[in-house]
Amino acid sequence: MIALRDILIFAGLMALAAAVIASLFPVGEGVSAVPACSDCAFKLTGGYWIRQYGNYASFHHGTREVARYGWAYIDGFPLNIGEIMGCDPMYVHVLDGAAYVSCRGGDGSVFGNKVLNSLPWAVEISADPSRPGCTYTVDAAVNESATIQLYVYDEGGRLVYSASSPSPATFTFSLPVAGTYRMHVYAPPLLDQWYTLQARVSITASKAAVYTSNNTQDLRPSVSLKIFDLTNYWKRGYTSVTVRINPAGASFTLSAPSNAFADYLLAWEDCRSCSCDATQDLYKDEVWRLTFTPTGPVFARIYSQGGLWHEVYADGRLIYTRNKDGPNNDRYTGADPTITVRFVSEDSEMDAEATFTKVCAWR
Amino acid sequence: MWSAAYGLIALAVVAFVALYAALHTPDLASVNLADQLYNAKKWLADSLPSLPRTDRRTHFVVSTNIVKVKVADVTASGRTFPVHLPVGYKLVKSDSNLLYELYLNVTLCSPTALHGGAAAALYVVELGHSVSQLPWLEVYAAVPRDVTRYYNWLYSYYTAWGRPPTVGLDPRVGADVDAGLVELVKAEWALVYNATSGATTLYVAAPPSAPYILVVDYPLTIPLACPPR
Repeated sequence: MIALRDILIFAGLMALAAAVIASLFPVGEGVSAVPACSDCAFKLTGGYWIRQYGNYASFHHGTREVARYGWAYIDGFPLNIGEIMGCDPMYVHVLDGAAYVSCRGGDGSVFGNKVLNSLPWAVEISADPSRPGCTYTVDAAVNESATIQLYVYDEGGRLVYSASSPSPATFTFSLPVAGTYRMHVYAPPLLDQWYTLQARVSITASKAAVYTSNNTQDLRPSVSLKIFDLTNYWKRGYTSVTVRINPAGASFTLSAPSNAFADYLLAWEDCRSCSCDATQDLYKDEVWRLTFTPTGPVFARIYSQGGLWHEVYADGRLIYTRNKDGPNNDRYTGADPTITVRFVSEDSEMDAEATFTKVCAWR
Repeated sequence: MWSAAYGLIALAVVAFVALYAALHTPDLASVNLADQLYNAKKWLADSLPSLPRTDRRTHFVVSTNIVKVKVADVTASGRTFPVHLPVGYKLVKSDSNLLYELYLNVTLCSPTALHGGAAAALYVVELGHSVSQLPWLEVYAAVPRDVTRYYNWLYSYYTAWGRPPTVGLDPRVGADVDAGLVELVKAEWALVYNATSGATTLYVAAPPSAPYILVVDYPLTIPLACPPR
């Protein structure tokens, strides 16, 4: 009588024999062959790997090539020629002969290439020099919900502005004084960026030179206008500054302006060769002060002297004359961000011009 | 006793072989990409009016499923009010086997002349698409039958909502067509692929009076407007 036991023994022996025969057979070595279809989806287990060649991609099991497809894509990105990729299990989708491979089941196995690049963060800075100081606008966003913090430090490391806002955030702030600032845009862990903000006044001038401290030289005829930049003294907290402007040490004392973005003393000489003996008269024929205030650049007269006639222009308009007929305004208020001043002399060799432009830069 | 042990061993061998074969057989499944593509686009078409909108480039850059808008003022019947003009899209929807991504961004919109001499507005649109071909791409221009009536209709939404309506998107895509306010006319278009940069550009010539064009990847219908310069 044939018992269940005998059937099991027979089946076991048959299975062993089948496994041994299958392992000896050159195709289907113990595992099923990869289907060679043009549009299908399947899952592979048992140590398959895929290699991209110049004009096809092949699936291998061990060293044996089991199927070929047009090109292999891993998670939507095509494999480079010569690249190898393998995982267990491997999810394969075939469309029009191209194999789309993913190591993750479900939504990892997809047709279609990624075309959208979503950055983890983005920051955009813009600046408006025509408003008081330098007005910066910072747009910042991160690709998840987070609070973005913004800190601005001056040269001394002092915090001059801080704010926080949920992403996407827009920050608008004004830097009231010219200088170099450091800005930190911070939304951990995605966004941690430092920027340098340069709020300054750019000067282009003819027959002029810019100084940040005393200058007592006689620089005629190449320099008829001395421009003294006082901004840094006011930033350091001085209440008044005395500027020496000629070989005799003639000086002008200025007191600190309130809320000035930048401040300049302009000392001009009207004559190429006269006053050579009397050096105390040099560079003081017209002495003016240019202050960038919150309401615009203010150009104000401090002192005038000399025998030749003078004309002083601001933004192309004659505002002050000496020793000749014309307007006698001691003060002119321009509009941000630019003012052009011009000193004209009877001795035309000494005519000088300077353009002051507020520049709000960043990098 | 011994025969029972043999039996158990044989059972284990059979179980091992059966399990080994089962684990190493590829699971074949049929893939119906056409339906998945349709479903993905349908889902996007349905959610289009409720997608977030932004006029900030940074927000657009970091997000997906978002609409980029530009704020513009329109004047109708002596009233001036703000509207949003849709100028960019980043759309994503993945189905079980499919990733559908669409990127549209109007980079330029300028007056031009057609061959016949008629005036037109030329839209230059950056286009990115996850599925290589766009076999059903169609482009229409929405031409108002009466411009004043059209903007009065938008103005009613502006007053009702207290926020600027988005041209072509509010209250839903095609609402103005259904209300008989605009007429869709086929626009001339060309799709140019630059192999060097890998970028695809869609050029569309629309009548200058059209407030927006519709890019159709059926059933997804996307309005794009001409941004003010």
